Amino acid sequence: MLTEYGTKHAVHVITNHFGDLVAKVCECLLRKGPLTRQNVKRYTELSDEQVKNALLVLIQQNCVQAFTTEQPDGPKANTQYVVLFDNILHRVRFAKFLTILSQEFDQQCVELVQGLLEHGRLTLKQMFDRAKSSEKEGNLVDLDSLRETLVKLVTAHYVERCPASEPLLMPISEEEGPARKKGSKSAKKIGEPETIEQQVVEAALPMEAMRFSVVTNVESDVGEKEKNSNNVTPGEKRKHDVLELDECGVADEQSVVYRANFEGFIRRLRHKGCIDHVRAHLDDGAANVLSAMLQATSSAEKKVKTKNSVPLSLSSIYEEVIKSEAGRNMTLDHVRASLVQLGELSFVDASSDSYSIDFEKIIEIAQNEEVESVVSKRYGRDAYRIFRLLSKSGRLLETDKISDTTFVEKKDAPKILYKLWKDGYLLMEKLVVTGARQSQFLLWKVNRQILWKHVLDEMFHAALNLSLRVSYELDREKELLNLPADKRTGPLQDRYNRIRKVRILLESSQMKLDDAILLFHDF
Amino acid sequence: MSKRKRPDSNAPSDSLTDHERLIYDVIRSNKQDMGIWTRDMKRELKVNLPDNIVTKSIKSLQNKSLIKEVVNIHNKGKKHLMAVEFEPSKDISGGAWYSEGSLDTEFIKVVKSQCLKQIIKLKVATLEGISDSIKRSGAFKVDLTKQQIEEIVRAVVLDNQIMEVKSNGSGEFTNIPVGKVCYKNVSKGGGGGEPKTGSSASVPCGVCPQINFCTPDGVISPKTCVYYTKWLDF
Repeated sequence: MLTEYGTKHAVHVITNHFGDLVAKVCECLLRKGPLTRQNVKRYTELSDEQVKNALLVLIQQNCVQAFTTEQPDGPKANTQYVVLFDNILHRVRFAKFLTILSQEFDQQCVELVQGLLEHGRLTLKQMFDRAKSSEKEGNLVDLDSLRETLVKLVTAHYVERCPASEPLLMPISEEEGPARKKGSKSAKKIGEPETIEQQVVEAALPMEAMRFSVVTNVESDVGEKEKNSNNVTPGEKRKHDVLELDECGVADEQSVVYRANFEGFIRRLRHKGCIDHVRAHLDDGAANVLSAMLQATSSAEKKVKTKNSVPLSLSSIYEEVIKSEAGRNMTLDHVRASLVQLGELSFVDASSDSYSIDFEKIIEIAQNEEVESVVSKRYGRDAYRIFRLLSKSGRLLETDKISDTTFVEKKDAPKILYKLWKDGYLLMEKLVVTGARQSQFLLWKVNRQILWKHVLDEMFHAALNLSLRVSYELDREKELLNLPADKRTGPLQDRYNRIRKVRILLESSQMKLDDAILLFHDF
Repeated sequence: MSKRKRPDSNAPSDSLTDHERLIYDVIRSNKQDMGIWTRDMKRELKVNLPDNIVTKSIKSLQNKSLIKEVVNIHNKGKKHLMAVEFEPSKDISGGAWYSEGSLDTEFIKVVKSQCLKQIIKLKVATLEGISDSIKRSGAFKVDLTKQQIEEIVRAVVLDNQIMEVKSNGSGEFTNIPVGKVCYKNVSKGGGGGEPKTGSSASVPCGVCPQINFCTPDGVISPKTCVYYTKWLDF
């Protein structure tokens, strides 16, 4: 279930990108869940045309997916629309996705994906037309090289074929429930029920082989060759067949639509986040080793939230380490020592001479540090120790026990605990003991599941606030920003310098905060 | 009021008044190391003595070094009286880490710092190792018990200056039995004991005490926020 500020933040992103009308339809779907077009019209009180256009925009931009459901008895139900909350969040990360690409591919690849992110989905022809329109002198675009670029990106799983436009969602029966959940790539944990959004996304996905394949004009080329080689006595039927194939080949390439595969980018960001975390905790050597292990095993990952990497032997890891410039100076002993360090922190599991990355552990530690940092800065060092004690113990502890273990004054501990509880960071239970005298004890606990949801909501709130403040600041200085540079003198120049710094700070903070949202929501 | 001397005297003093004797007996016969709260003591007296007599007698007993007053750590308003020969139990005094009813923060700081110093010196240390190392260093006049060292080490773990690991018997854990709990210095990210500032904590909203009252268009909002104004004051 979406949190309040998760919803507000998503609506704000859509408003900024597509305007109030589209945002109204989006908010309706976010708050009410999947709806038919009629119901969207009813709740938003917009006209049919407005609702239709808004939905088309949201579908084009991969923020909404249509689907139908089968009734146990009777015809298919009306088409419903479900909002894809994750894809709305991804919209603020496009710059991060393009940075990843620019590190691995050439400029043509970056520009192709830029087009997909801007337009939501494109056919190869549309990509070609777009590239042609921004063609520079001496850098002509041709269809073949663009096709090759597309193949490269699809092979690397950064681009995919668009999903089915209106998949049929089968109702999950009692018997097949657990089996379905087990096989599902999108369920967070085994046993955790899938949301409708997850079910629809999964139902819409093409088969893996088709999802990451590029339709080319090879069939039509083949058709052409055959036609020419048989021009002596072309049979009517054969010609017809060849022509048909030719038409099919051209039509397929023109009709297949592609889009950026957000999963591919998020997986890469997750890897990068783990490497950065290891570098911060240990050193560059350990980070190089982890990076090499990821390089060797990432193609085997079936889903974004993979728990462990495929096990590798020391020699395989070393072979991969020395491939990179950074790892070339590392000896086998150095790699072994780094693996021991990683093992000590449980970032890597070692068994029978093979090593496997424990993603969940790395992410868990990173999440703990993020929350502990907030507690320390917001409530102080004593609260930080108290929170860490409760977080590590994972069970209810009594007030006095907490103050003794954390060396916090007995009179201060209850105040700190109460504040943390009031702000949603702790759970509290009262225990009344009746004996000679009735005594009341207060017990405290950190419940990760509840707290993590609360922390994420606070992050969405902070993200929304940053965005609102950026708009407010820029709006305040709108006239100044529109002033030509030569007219900005004296105090105006000072104000201009200030607004520049403000913009840089706020926008870079948005990106940094988004790293935390990725950590709690996507990784 | 008589001031007869009593012939049989377990008490060190032999010049107690009847009232003083009465009060002293009640105090001494109670749970020795727990002492007794003044009000409870008055209730246990067999005769009903006026308050001023009680107060005067208590003062006199204190002056004669027969009884002492101990602060109850759970309720500083409740003074406990006990015979001087007893040490207040941990339940009343708070234990080794308390002094006159408050945490002895200076002492705790010094012990923490010594533990951290020994762990850094030893690179990997068990509790026994830390304890021996501190004893050998002669940093403290009194010997700290193993339990006290353990309490302090646990608090330093909570400060995130050291981490708890289990020995695997090899490498830096050679000579330490497999599975034994050890402590190592946190190499990075703990910079002087301060936790690294997270992404969320680096923006005003992340650490704002008013976040629950903040709304987009409310009295407290990102547009009116004083923390933002200060943050953006270039």
